[in-house]
Amino acid sequence: MQNISLHNYQDFLLRYIDEELDLRETEALLAFVALHPAIAEELESLQSTKLDIEVISCPNKAVLYKNIFPVILEPETIVYPYKQKLFKKEKEKAPVVLLKWWAVGAAAVFLFMMVRYGMLDQKAASTMSKNSISKNKVSTVPTLSVIKNNPTINNTTTNNAVANTGSMAATKVVTDIKNNTSNAMEYSTAQNIEHQSIPTVSTVTARETAQNMPSYNGDIIDVKPTIIAEITVPSTTINDEPTEYIETIDTEAASSNRSVMVGAFEIDKDKFRGLFRKVNAIIKNKENNKNEK
Amino acid sequence: MTEKDYNESVLLYADNVYRFIVKNLRHTEDAEDIVQSAFEKLWIHKESVETAKAKSYLFTVAYHLLIDHTRKAKRISLQESFENDTQTIYQENKALKKVLHDALATLSETQRSLVLLKDYEGYSYEEIGEITKLTTDQVRVYLHRARLKLRNYLISPQQVL
Repeated sequence: MQNISLHNYQDFLLRYIDEELDLRETEALLAFVALHPAIAEELESLQSTKLDIEVISCPNKAVLYKNIFPVILEPETIVYPYKQKLFKKEKEKAPVVLLKWWAVGAAAVFLFMMVRYGMLDQKAASTMSKNSISKNKVSTVPTLSVIKNNPTINNTTTNNAVANTGSMAATKVVTDIKNNTSNAMEYSTAQNIEHQSIPTVSTVTARETAQNMPSYNGDIIDVKPTIIAEITVPSTTINDEPTEYIETIDTEAASSNRSVMVGAFEIDKDKFRGLFRKVNAIIKNKENNKNEK
Repeated sequence: MTEKDYNESVLLYADNVYRFIVKNLRHTEDAEDIVQSAFEKLWIHKESVETAKAKSYLFTVAYHLLIDHTRKAKRISLQESFENDTQTIYQENKALKKVLHDALATLSETQRSLVLLKDYEGYSYEEIGEITKLTTDQVRVYLHRARLKLRNYLISPQQVL
């Protein structure tokens, strides 16, 4: 501790006013002041320079706070008057559909097949009906002659599916009937007897006889009975005669359904389906290979 | 320093900083601006300022803002009369106080700041040195000179008469 003297007392006085002296220095200064009244007056004058604490409030202290007094703006409805001018309508664009090439190709082939099949089915149906009509024409021509010659047995001849009317047996029957119109029982008997041979002949030789029939004038004079004699008629086919004929017709229709006309070429549908399946199998294999990679 | 600490600093130290500035500047509006700037700076740097040192930080910032403001005011030769300031918030009721504050006006800015920091805020020489970026000895010498100057002003013949 530095000793207080007349040379350094002022520093001690100022430090005392600033409250920078410790307890021992304070006691030493007060003792020194007590010994020197002039210094006591000087101390009093220096103490008058010390400012009294004033309470001054900051006027805008609320501005300094953060997030304690949030300013909430009341909702205000302001309508922009030209809002209608701001609306825009974008031009419609065609949707972009990304398809794989094989899918597009398969779809095209499928559509082509559908269209083609549908058309061909209609054609097949029409051709089938035409064929049946033509067959009926071929078969009905003699029948009409029979009917013309003997209208009374129209039902019996038609019921026998007389596509075989071109046969010699039929003509013979008709001839017999023509000659024996008075005896109905005999006719029926004869018809029944001869009827058994009709389908057999028709199934085997219908086309031949149709081709060999040079002309038809309503008379059956040109018929050669020798042809019949050449054909052996199995006894088992007697009852199956109409069925066998129908089957022949069905077979032709089925064959026409199986074939597809592609331009001038006739393609079997089954083969075409097989080809289509093979193509699908190849495409699926490629797709699987891609997925595995 | 958290947001809560900052707001508490406002509550505790805003008046002190304002008093320190307004006693120096004798202009309330400028004092408000400086106080607001000081607290804004504290808010910006609140992450790096410890709560215990918030007051010292505020006075440091306010003091340097005060110095900048005073230098700027000197450059533009702005002379404003403290007596004519209509927004002065304090009034002198006593003659002694009025004379003392007149005496304060005769001090330099640094001396006045030191006196204000010492008498109003009770800072030590070291703390005042930290705020004003002066050494402890400089603070002590400047402050003693200010005291003697104030005393000489108070015991001058004009004031006595």
